[in-house]
This record gives sequence, C-alpha cells and structure tokens, in this order.
Amino acid sequence: MDTQLKKNKQNPRKTAINVLIHVLLAVLAVVWLLPIAWIVLTSFRAEPGAYTTTVLPQEYTLNNYVKLLTDRNVLDFPKMFGNTLIISIISCIISTFLVLSVAFSLSRLRFRFRKPYMNMAMILGLFPGFMTMVAQYFILKSMGLTEGQSIRIGLIVVYSACAGLGFQISKGFFDTIPRSIDEAAIIDGATEWQVFTRITLPLSKPIVIYTVMTSFMAPWVDFIFAKVLCRANADQFTVAIGLWNMLQKEYIYQWYTCFAAGAVLISIPIAALFLYMQKFYVEGMSGAVKG
Amino acid sequence: MATLSLRHIQKIYPLRDDDKEEKKRKRRKKGEEPEVKKSHNLKITDEGVVAVDDFNLEIDDKEFIVFVGPSGCGKSTTLRMIAGLEDITRGELYINGRLVNDVQPKDRDIAMVFQNYALYPHMTVRKNLEFPLEIRNTPKEEMAQKVEWAADILGITPYLNRKPKALSGGQRQRVAIGRAIVRDPQVLLMDEPLSNLDAKLRNQMRAEIIKLRKSLNTTFIYVTHDQTEAMTLGDRIVIMKDGDVQQIGTPQQVFDQPVNLFVAGFIGMPQMNLFDGELVERDGKYAVRIGETEIVLSQDKQRNLADANAKPQKVIVGARPEHIILDGGNGPLIEGVVDVTEMMGSSVHLHLDVNGKDCVIIAPRLELNAGHLTVGSTVRFTLAPNAVHVFDPQTEKNLECR
Repeated sequence: MDTQLKKNKQNPRKTAINVLIHVLLAVLAVVWLLPIAWIVLTSFRAEPGAYTTTVLPQEYTLNNYVKLLTDRNVLDFPKMFGNTLIISIISCIISTFLVLSVAFSLSRLRFRFRKPYMNMAMILGLFPGFMTMVAQYFILKSMGLTEGQSIRIGLIVVYSACAGLGFQISKGFFDTIPRSIDEAAIIDGATEWQVFTRITLPLSKPIVIYTVMTSFMAPWVDFIFAKVLCRANADQFTVAIGLWNMLQKEYIYQWYTCFAAGAVLISIPIAALFLYMQKFYVEGMSGAVKG
Repeated sequence: MATLSLRHIQKIYPLRDDDKEEKKRKRRKKGEEPEVKKSHNLKITDEGVVAVDDFNLEIDDKEFIVFVGPSGCGKSTTLRMIAGLEDITRGELYINGRLVNDVQPKDRDIAMVFQNYALYPHMTVRKNLEFPLEIRNTPKEEMAQKVEWAADILGITPYLNRKPKALSGGQRQRVAIGRAIVRDPQVLLMDEPLSNLDAKLRNQMRAEIIKLRKSLNTTFIYVTHDQTEAMTLGDRIVIMKDGDVQQIGTPQQVFDQPVNLFVAGFIGMPQMNLFDGELVERDGKYAVRIGETEIVLSQDKQRNLADANAKPQKVIVGARPEHIILDGGNGPLIEGVVDVTEMMGSSVHLHLDVNGKDCVIIAPRLELNAGHLTVGSTVRFTLAPNAVHVFDPQTEKNLECR
C-alpha cells in the first residue's frame, strides 16, 4: 500500500522529466540534422544560385551531379576526388601505423626519452598545426616537393608527419590492456612485434578503427595545407579546395548547387569506411584476466 | 631434465629520479636523513631498493620448489627473474648449466602460469593453447595432438571452442595451465595460480596440480603466500621475507626446525604460540622456564642445543598448538583463561589469555563436551619437551641452529 502510494506520487514527476529530456533531444536532433538535410535538398535543386526565396527546391533534378562529374573543363571534380582519395588512403595507412606503433612503444616499452617525449608531444600539440605552414612550405620546397606531381607526395608527407604526436588516445587504450597478457605472450615465445600484431592490435579493434577513421578524415577534409602546397596547380587540387573555389564570386551562380552535390559526394567515402569498419567492433576485454 | 641454479641473485630497483630529488629536497629543507620506505623493511642502498638480496638455490631436476612469504617479500620478483621478465641486477642464473642471465624468455624453455590467468581474450581456448606452439612453427598435426593431450589432462576438451569469457574462473585457470604445459617446457613457473579461486576450488585445483606434476617431467617453481599450499605441494620450500631468504628446506624441516621466529610464525596453522621465558642449564641439562613452569627438553633438543653451544639466557619459547599438553606433566603448570572457543568440527581451538598474551591450543571435542573448557574457565597446560623451540629475543634466531 505504502509503496503503491509512493509510485503514484513519483510517476508524474518522472514523466515530466522524461518529456523534458525527449523534447531537448528532439531539438538537438533537428539542429544537427537540419544542415545535412538542407545540403542534400540543395544538391537536387534545379534553380541555380545561392539565394532562393523558398526553403524547399521548386524543382528537383540530377543535373547538379551530372554536371559536377562531367564538366571537367572549369573545375575538374573527378580529378580532385581522385587526388584526395589517393593522398588520404596513403597518409591514412602511414599515419595509422605510426600512431599505433608510437602509442604501443610509449605504453609498453620503457626507455630514457619516454617521459620527455610525452611532455614534448603534449606541448607541441597545444600549438595549431597551421602555425608552421610557411615553414613547412619552404622545407618541402627545398626537398623539391612543391611542383607538379610531387605536390601529392608533399601533401602525404605533411599529413603523415604529425602522426607521432597523435598517440594519446591509443596509448590510453593500450594502457588498459593488462601487461600480464603481453608477458604471457613473450614467455610463449612471441617477439615484441608479434605481441603488437597478434595480441595488442586484435584486442584494440575499436581504437584501431578510430585511428584509421581520423587519419583518413584529416587529409580528406584538410583545406589549409592543400591550399598552401597546391597554390595555382589546378590539376593537384583536392576536394576541399575545389569546393571552396565553387563558392568564389566567378563560379558561385553556376556552381552553387554543384557545390552541394560535391559536399554530399565527399561524405560517401567516410560513411563507407565507417560502415566497413563497424563490423570489426567486437566485445572488448572481458575474459582476459580475473577482476 | 632441467636443473636450475641461482647464485647470489640480487634485484635492485633504481629509485626514480623524482624520488631522489624529493629526498634531496627534504634533506636540504630539514637537514634530516631521507626517510626509508615504511611499507616494507626493504633495504635501500645508493643503487636503489633491494627487492631480492643474495638468493642462492640449487634446484634438482623434476623438483617442486615453492617460494612462500608475505606480500612484498620478493618471491614473485625472483620468479620473474627466472622467467626473464625482469633483469637480474647481480648474480648468475643457470638453467641446465647454461648461464641465462641475458637470454630472452622465449629461449629459456620455460612456461609460466599467471595469477590472473592472462588468457588471450580474442582467441578461443583452442587458439590459446595453440599460440605457444604456433609461434614456434610447430607442424599442424603435432600441434593438434599436443593441444588434445593437454586439454585431456586438464579436462577442458568440451570448452575448446569457447572464448575465455565464457568460462568460469576454475576453467580459465585450467586453460592457463594448459597453455603452459602444451609445449612441454623444462621449467614450469607458477605465480600464485590459485589465489583468484574460491576456497573449495582452490583445494580441488591443488590436488590437480599434484596429479599434474606426476604426469609431467618438469621442474616446478611455484609462488604462493599461502603456507598450506606451500606445505602440501612443495618438495622444498623457500621462505622469504623482505627480499631475504629465511630458510630453505622440506616441509617437514621448516615445520619442525624453523630457523627463526619469522619462519616459526609463518609456517603452521594456527600460528605457533610464543612465551617469554628463560633457557636454564641444570645438572648439564637444558630446560626452559616459563614463569614457574620448568620443562626439561628432550634428548634431541639437548644435543642440538649443546652442539650449538647455547648459553643460558632470556629466550622466546615457541610451541605449536598441537604440542601443548593439557593438564600434563609434573610440577607447576602454565595457566591461562579461556577467551574464545572456536568450534572447528573435529576439534576445538581455544584462545587463552596467558599473562596478557594470546595463546591458541587445540583441544579434542570431548573436552568441550565435558563442559570444563567454557569461556572464562582456567586451563592448565605444559609443553611437549620434544617440540619446544627456543629463540633468541634479539636476533630472533633459533638457538638450536647456530
């Protein structure tokens, strides 16, 4: 009887809180989804130009996509897409490897420079990367990586070079893997490399996926360094520069809706990568050790 | 076929730089000597903390050695040095006559079972067992055969296709042992393998380890803090404290002739009772005096004490609960008041207050049933003359073994 009463008293309050929470979540969902919905709608809009009087397109068309992919004279989007894809994939492979191995070394090996290195990385990480863009340009120029095809290599170098500093999150994850598992493997006959590839990496799938995603995303969406290195070499443009150019005064009327289509297209590799990677998410560490 | 020999093994952990600096600062500030770490009485030298000091042991082929001691005594560190997981600061370690100080763990032909199992959670039980073989490029057929053999011995065949998380604690420990025996190592190291199991399972697994030992031609080194495990499993026991070896001997030896107070107190359950007393010599015979009670020691003890050239002095007298004789002997007896009685089933443990000191004796149940051992009643007893130990109060050494 007593508990019954209490329940009845609490229920309206609980409901009110629930309603409040759901309203808040709904508002947030709209805030987050609206720009995406809007850009998708714009990419199918038939009327050109940036400014329209209606929220929803008057007419729908696929022409924006067709133009984006076929009109290769003014702004060669397929070329840019290919450029960026190559650069991103190669930098992704290099920097994933670097990030994970640096994190593993810092988590598992003990060497004299370990602590100073971590402190240094922390401090360097506080500065924005583009602070050094002029210096990077001149360094790459002296290496001959700023002209023609070698711009791509230059970009890969730029994007992979900072990987040694991005170890914090993976190191934090590796630290949670009990050391005795490593030691068991070492006694079972594994080398440090085998411990890394056969024990640590399979146990760290979520963080490996995270690292692959971030190291792919960073070059894929980067604008500043691409702009600095490519300058006017249109055949080396990446999608970020291309999309930005579509919004310039001389192109915007013709290209605005194509810009929207391009924005939709560049999200496809990221989504595909994520969907592919998602299946590797498996249950974590349970069962390894007691307590 | 594996003999081990540990010669003057020493492990020193260097102090961390910040520790050093802190000490310097403190010294400068207060002009004091640096504080010695309080938690253990480990020696601290200029080189660092001495975790294991001058460990000497010759281990025979197929021997079962147990390292036992309270936590922080260096037993696990010693084991890890044998495994190669820790560097040996000083001293020499030989396996089969080969100096292995600088040999990689994988080349020492040892296997190890960890306290927390340390199974590979992303692999099935079968893969876990195969791992050490696979990494040594064992042919597939041989691998399957060996895995089957190990699984059969340990009774884990039905679980071969499960992941570790789908196993109970006892099953996981079996898998861990299986992974260690599957490649037939020369030396099998076990680091407190049973301490994560509940009491019943622990007893069961203990029996299984004894059985396992019979079916393997391997030298065992087993680390535990549980004296029961040490006594039941070991051919020889190494008792350690604060990085020093206290005594090495068979279970019988360490139980009957503890070399010092620490060993006496550590081995045996319930603990040995200690009384303040005196060693006296009367008519060329040694006797111990506790209060008014005088106990003339047995022949053996007489001889041992004479050999050790013991002089009459104040001593600490030790007697195990099972060597206390109720209402026995002639002359004045030691008196105590019953504080607590613990019913153990077949017998009763009585906690007595003897001149303010706690003393445990084991009484048969009949005595309790007879009704004269209730709380508050006075009990008179003497000590068995052939099982009394006398210790020097200063050095804590057993006077029989000087």
